[in-house]
Amino acid sequence: MSDRPLPPGSPRDHDAGAPKEPLPTSPRGGEDRLRVLSVLVEDNSGTLSKVSGLIRRRGFHVRAISIGPSREPGRFRMTLEVDAGHAEADQVLKQLERLVDVVEVEDLTDHDVHSRELVVARVAVSEVSALVDKGARVLDTGPTWTTIEFAGEGEEVGGFVDELRRHGILDVVRSGPVVMRRTAS
Amino acid sequence: MVLEALEQEGVDLIFGYPGGANLPIYQRLPDHPKLRHILVRHEQGAAHMADGYARACGRPGVVFATSGPGALNLVTGLCTAYMDSVPMIAITGQVNSAQVGRDAFQESDVIGATSSVTKHSYLVTNIAQLPRVIHEAFHIAATGRPGPVLIDICKDVQMAEAERPARQRVDIPGYQLNGHVKLDQAGLAATALAKAERPVILAGHGVILSHAEQALLDLAEKAGTPVGTTLLGIGSFPVNHPLSLHMTGFMGTGWCLKAVQNADVLMMVGMRVDDRVTARLADFAPKATTFIHVDIDGSEMGKNVRPHIELVADARQALEAMLPGIDSVDEGRGRWLAQIDAWREDHPLRYTHSNGHLQPQDVLIDMYKRCRSEAVVVADVGQNQIWAALWWNYDRPGLFINSGGAGTMGFALPAAIGAKFALPDVPVWCVAGEGGFVMTAQELSVAVEHQLDIKIVLLNNFSLGMVRQFQDDFYGGVRSQVDLTHMPDFVKLADAYGLPGVRVEKLADVGPAMDAAERTRGPFLIDFRIDPEANVYPIVPLGKSLNDFWEAPVGE
Repeated sequence: MSDRPLPPGSPRDHDAGAPKEPLPTSPRGGEDRLRVLSVLVEDNSGTLSKVSGLIRRRGFHVRAISIGPSREPGRFRMTLEVDAGHAEADQVLKQLERLVDVVEVEDLTDHDVHSRELVVARVAVSEVSALVDKGARVLDTGPTWTTIEFAGEGEEVGGFVDELRRHGILDVVRSGPVVMRRTAS
Repeated sequence: MVLEALEQEGVDLIFGYPGGANLPIYQRLPDHPKLRHILVRHEQGAAHMADGYARACGRPGVVFATSGPGALNLVTGLCTAYMDSVPMIAITGQVNSAQVGRDAFQESDVIGATSSVTKHSYLVTNIAQLPRVIHEAFHIAATGRPGPVLIDICKDVQMAEAERPARQRVDIPGYQLNGHVKLDQAGLAATALAKAERPVILAGHGVILSHAEQALLDLAEKAGTPVGTTLLGIGSFPVNHPLSLHMTGFMGTGWCLKAVQNADVLMMVGMRVDDRVTARLADFAPKATTFIHVDIDGSEMGKNVRPHIELVADARQALEAMLPGIDSVDEGRGRWLAQIDAWREDHPLRYTHSNGHLQPQDVLIDMYKRCRSEAVVVADVGQNQIWAALWWNYDRPGLFINSGGAGTMGFALPAAIGAKFALPDVPVWCVAGEGGFVMTAQELSVAVEHQLDIKIVLLNNFSLGMVRQFQDDFYGGVRSQVDLTHMPDFVKLADAYGLPGVRVEKLADVGPAMDAAERTRGPFLIDFRIDPEANVYPIVPLGKSLNDFWEAPVGE
């Protein structure tokens, strides 16, 4: 067995062992703990609190969340960015699958996806053509301010918000990501 | 509507307590003579009775409680059932649907308070939902990995009238029983077990729940592999079988712990591999190069120990799938089994007999001689539980009931009552310490009211024994808040409740007291004044590995 110390509280990981034969599973370790999950849920009373309660109780942490109606009536699509905390990263998905109100969970962390976030900001300038050139849209204007929106991948939105700071942000709201596979499955 | 739906599910017994928000259901109860209702004395008692009932007969236990405090009193019982995968249906009254959220009298967010200790829960605000919800709830509670399901029904819904729709097939998109079955590695698991030099199987509650004990016995014998059980797995493998390692875990037998820590292939069946089984996780089974995990719940794979081979299925299905793959076993197997026999010789279970005090083991050994393999023993939590687990050769499932995962003190008496209702013709013995016993002692009234033939063995050491032992051994010997000198006179307490009781302080009086208990029809209590310094051994010091178990001092 390995002499490598395990992080405190981490599940017993046997990847450094020397099995006599090649083993069918390759135990994972050290991967990014942030998981991106697409979850289809029933619109029942308490579904959101059951999902969020489970995530808290199992020691995970929600970094971002967005919810909206899915194409199926009575069902909602949640996109979650979850930090697995000290648990094995695949526990997030497995525990969510146990909930009766969860119809389907997909871990999109390492998949080729469209991931979009939305930011709406009010900046203290009236001249925003440079921002519009980057893809922002003007929602309304006032004597000393402009309200704009911008959508993009998380990093793009982060970069856009950084740029806004130079213009003086009066107010900003930002959504969690919505994520879809690039190829139809 | 609620009661008709319960009849349709085949319910014959309900443990409950009426109150403002479930009175409409109780008003109709006399119209349903097939539904026998047991009035408990505290809702927690109802939950544990339903739990004991379910563990004894396998059918979901049913509980009624009113809103607010009534429902919240169920929480500990729901958690106990949830941790041990016991099927249960809790039906709680809720305030009128129009009052929900207005802090009405006895309103509480029961779904919110219980969602982490139930397999699923429903809030019913419309009569149209009701028949489907009750039917689904029974399906969810009893199938797959069983567990408690709570149905919170608003008072106006209880009063509503509706046409009863024809029963429909259960179709719950988010609950697909066979959706996650994974048996493709069964052959690989069989080969790994057969080719191992030092294999060990650990068996948990899942083996009992899936009636896999025969498959386990066949597999163990065919693969020449020794079997230890978890606390809840007791009975899944006969303790007097030559391949038995008895109980594993941090209070398991020395020979079992030696075997686990030296195994090269460790197969864990129908168990969660929790901290009481592994002790210090990083040192659990350090020589194992292959972990095989079998469980019906895929989320158990890698939750604590990452297996190399995983079978996600009902334990019986998985073990039967493995059986054909076991052909010739490794030739070193005889040496391994001889080594285990040597460890069994070197690390036997033992206790001090003659220090002048009555020893708990003396009491239990006498009790078990009377039980043979016919009685159900329901234990509480603490030293009494581990003594009751270790000091008998349980040879089949269903003989030992206790709260394993939650470790709920006060479980034994109401659970024994529930077990007796489930199995009226089977002797039921309740083993408890005085600390846990007084937590739910009010349920003695139920035992007396229904003249339930339950023998209560109180192992009274005038302290919270397990806590006292931990303080002595692991917390610097500081005995803090464990003294229970001031307790009722239990014989008088029994008398006050209307059942006979005797006190026993000497070994010579154990037999006659047990004789009296056996002769008596109806409940009987024996207050055994045991050695206040008696400890549980073996025990692994907190935070240490299974290698570091302490044994009972070698006495006379």
